[in-house]
Amino acid sequence: MITGKLVIEQILNGLVLGCMYASVASGLTLIWGTMKMINFAHGEFYMLGGYVMYFAIVSFGIPPLYSIFLAVVIVFAMGIVIEKICLHPLLDKPDWDISAFVATLGVGIFFQNFALRVWGERFKSVPYFLEGTLDVFGFRMAYQRIFIFAVTAGVMGGFWLYLKKARFGLGLRATAQDRDAATILGINAKKIYTITFGMSCALASLAAVLLAPIFLINPWMGSVPLIKGFITVVLGGLGSFGGAILGGILLGVVESISVIVFSSEWKDVVAFIILILVLWIRPSGLFGTKEW
Amino acid sequence: MAEAGAPTSCGSGMLKMNNIEVAYLNVIRVLHGVSLSVDDGQVVALLGANGAGKSTTLKAISGLLSSEEGEVTGGSIEWNGERIDNRSAEEIGKLGVIQALEGRRVFEHLNTEENLLVGAYQRRDCGAVKADLDMVYQYFPRLKEMRRSTAGYLSGGEQQMLVVGRAIMASPKLLMLDEPSLGLAPKVVETIFQVLVDINKKDVTILLIEQNAQMALQVAHRGYVMETGKMSLEGKAEDVAQNEQIKKTYLGL
Repeated sequence: MITGKLVIEQILNGLVLGCMYASVASGLTLIWGTMKMINFAHGEFYMLGGYVMYFAIVSFGIPPLYSIFLAVVIVFAMGIVIEKICLHPLLDKPDWDISAFVATLGVGIFFQNFALRVWGERFKSVPYFLEGTLDVFGFRMAYQRIFIFAVTAGVMGGFWLYLKKARFGLGLRATAQDRDAATILGINAKKIYTITFGMSCALASLAAVLLAPIFLINPWMGSVPLIKGFITVVLGGLGSFGGAILGGILLGVVESISVIVFSSEWKDVVAFIILILVLWIRPSGLFGTKEW
Repeated sequence: MAEAGAPTSCGSGMLKMNNIEVAYLNVIRVLHGVSLSVDDGQVVALLGANGAGKSTTLKAISGLLSSEEGEVTGGSIEWNGERIDNRSAEEIGKLGVIQALEGRRVFEHLNTEENLLVGAYQRRDCGAVKADLDMVYQYFPRLKEMRRSTAGYLSGGEQQMLVVGRAIMASPKLLMLDEPSLGLAPKVVETIFQVLVDINKKDVTILLIEQNAQMALQVAHRGYVMETGKMSLEGKAEDVAQNEQIKKTYLGL
């Protein structure tokens, strides 16, 4: 029985899910927009974020809020190291897009198997760090979910402003649009790439740590968000930051509503049908070309 | 090559190119020993037909060849006595050798003011950047009117002003321009050349590629003429302008 209340609740759930997609997708789109490559290890940085969070809370007893911060910072640093080791040497070589594709695929496989070997195949869970629910007008929202929504919305908004207003953001956008024109003005494009890669990984990690109490931590946890991230990025228009956010929220809401219309097994089918329709009708994405 | 004389590498220029050879993809030789010297405070015009190698010469200086799989295979480029022919574009930019790219290459998704500020990216002196921004707006009032407009939607003339303004924002010691008059209305060309003359008085040395030889030789102190990857003529701007062959080929006199 589909009631109005159920629909609204699912929309709210969809917003939370959408925040995660937006966070994962904005990282992917950031890399595509600047470095013109697709990071196939993105899901693994998401996974690493989850594990850092788990060990911080469970093994070291660090309070959840600090653990979130720690996980984002550590994965940021790991992203920078990986970029320096695995991607930097490939920059400016012929066939950059293909070599970067293979390199990130390798990084992803490495981390997945590393996690499997070292941390084991057993699923780990992170406790809810916010208990209770909020009741407004008869709707129930877990504080945990409100927290996820608030933090991602805040971070996305802040990041958007950072790209628009800050000096580094300006350099990033300029480099993304025309690297040669930026470098001859003395902008260090390679440094911008490195930092951008780190930021992208940090955004993936953020999505993982916020959702850690809802989903379980395991070596393969990154694969679904990666695929959903790709769908989101294509929906929003490859390379568009705003498109990734809107596309993510749209995908989250549509998926959640499809759960009540069909059933939860059909969620991914619906996501892919939307993807195919968009590619069919608007190949450049719902929100058009890239906007930096 | 009567009055103006044969090319020699000479003088104690701030920029000195000695016998530069450039090849693309290791096989296609574009420059066969080009020498050029730009003295402090001068305006130097580099003339020549399409495909003579003028743009390649500028790219060899600014370090942009590598992104087109080109390479300096011989000779040397010195900037104030320091070799710069193996430096990256970014390092050369930081030295104050700034190229305004051909083809109105603005950052099209940034607005006008953002484009100008990218020019000043490597400068930390906020006050001076602000002053230069005001100066650029004074030179090109149209850019001030359009400061919030997305650069991609500006007209061709406005984009060319923007490219020149952006290069000025980088506080160049040597400003290199690639065909700033190409395809522009005479009035815009005049504005741009007026600005070039003015910033040259403010101690910015200029190396200018032009098809519009007459215009270029009017503002230049020295002129070089290139033909199929070689310098065919060099000399004082007046002398180059008086050269019979130049008159015929480039000035249409």
